[in-house]
Amino acid sequence: MSTYVYGITAGSHTALPEGMGGVGDPPRPVRILKEGELAAIVSDAPEGLRPKRKDLLAHQNVLSEAGGGGAVLPMRFGSVAQDDAAVTGVLAERAEHYRERLGALDGKVEYNVKASHDEQGVLHRVMSENAELRALAETNRKAGGGTYEDRLRLGEMVATAVQHREAEDAAELQRALEAAATDVSVGPESTGWLANVSYLVDRQSAEVFLAAVEQLRKSHPHIELRVNGPLPPYSFVEPGPAQHAEAEAAH
Amino acid sequence: MTVVPAQQSGGGGGSSGLYDVLELVLDRGLVIDAFVRVSLVGIEILKIDVRVVVASVDTYLRFAEACNRLDLEAGPRKDPGLPDLVGEITESGARGKSKGALSGAAETISDAFKQARDDGQTESRPRARKTTSSRKREEQE
Repeated sequence: MSTYVYGITAGSHTALPEGMGGVGDPPRPVRILKEGELAAIVSDAPEGLRPKRKDLLAHQNVLSEAGGGGAVLPMRFGSVAQDDAAVTGVLAERAEHYRERLGALDGKVEYNVKASHDEQGVLHRVMSENAELRALAETNRKAGGGTYEDRLRLGEMVATAVQHREAEDAAELQRALEAAATDVSVGPESTGWLANVSYLVDRQSAEVFLAAVEQLRKSHPHIELRVNGPLPPYSFVEPGPAQHAEAEAAH
Repeated sequence: MTVVPAQQSGGGGGSSGLYDVLELVLDRGLVIDAFVRVSLVGIEILKIDVRVVVASVDTYLRFAEACNRLDLEAGPRKDPGLPDLVGEITESGARGKSKGALSGAAETISDAFKQARDDGQTESRPRARKTTSSRKREEQE
């Protein structure tokens, strides 16, 4: 029977979600595997596991539950070991590294911030910043909208201005929030977001971080912010052993 | 009209926040090479958001139209007539479908992603934009 792994934590963690429903249908009960000072949060791996909505949620929920009681290194969804012994083997082999990461992430949570422009808001913003755009829009308006070429020209200029605004707003957002966080991880660029950034925040000072978000909402009303957290520190479990060794070698 | 405040995703964790944390659950987190990962075939996480776009003739015309109607005297949030209009204009099939698939009853996330990706290919537009109409939908969910 192969073993599904949710995360790695300290063996001394007192509030592990043992018996909670995990992935699979019916949900496989969550078990704890201890090895030395470490513990792995696991369940049996269901046959034919696929990234279904329900299973993704189960993975996230088990980790949220475990993270409430202490530091957890969250696994990426879908990690399956051959059996329980393979899991404890890895814990034993890399114990020092995992202990170091757990120490570094103790008391810390991830907040993911995604930002996009409110279209009305950003149009107002770029028009108010750019007299040339205003003049062109006014000319078109007086001409009953303008010719096809006029409209295309205005639209292209506006689109360019909006794109510049996106880059500037992304930089401003990052500056404004990083002061309230202990680490930053910029997510992959994606259509739909002008910024997708994860922040590592002390659980104790989460209020400070959220206040900075509110401040940003007020100062940049043309930006829509979606904040998700507190989350297990998905984006901060690295550096892996190799990178870590390199970093140490550089010192 | 502002967006959802910070969501508590502990414990019960409904599916509302899942859409936003998908890429974290699927694409970050610890990977241990001694373990295998279940197949994520069909998931292209970077393309989950197929929305309306900046750099196309359609977008230029849409922006020109929006500017035409933009009342610069009113504040950005004091213009009740315009958002719906812009929403209608921007209600492209691609965004409607992908959004619907992601938030609807699609059983597997991968199916939703496949659809989003297919839509992305047919539209082949490089940049996306979030509009008032999509925001409204999210608020209703």
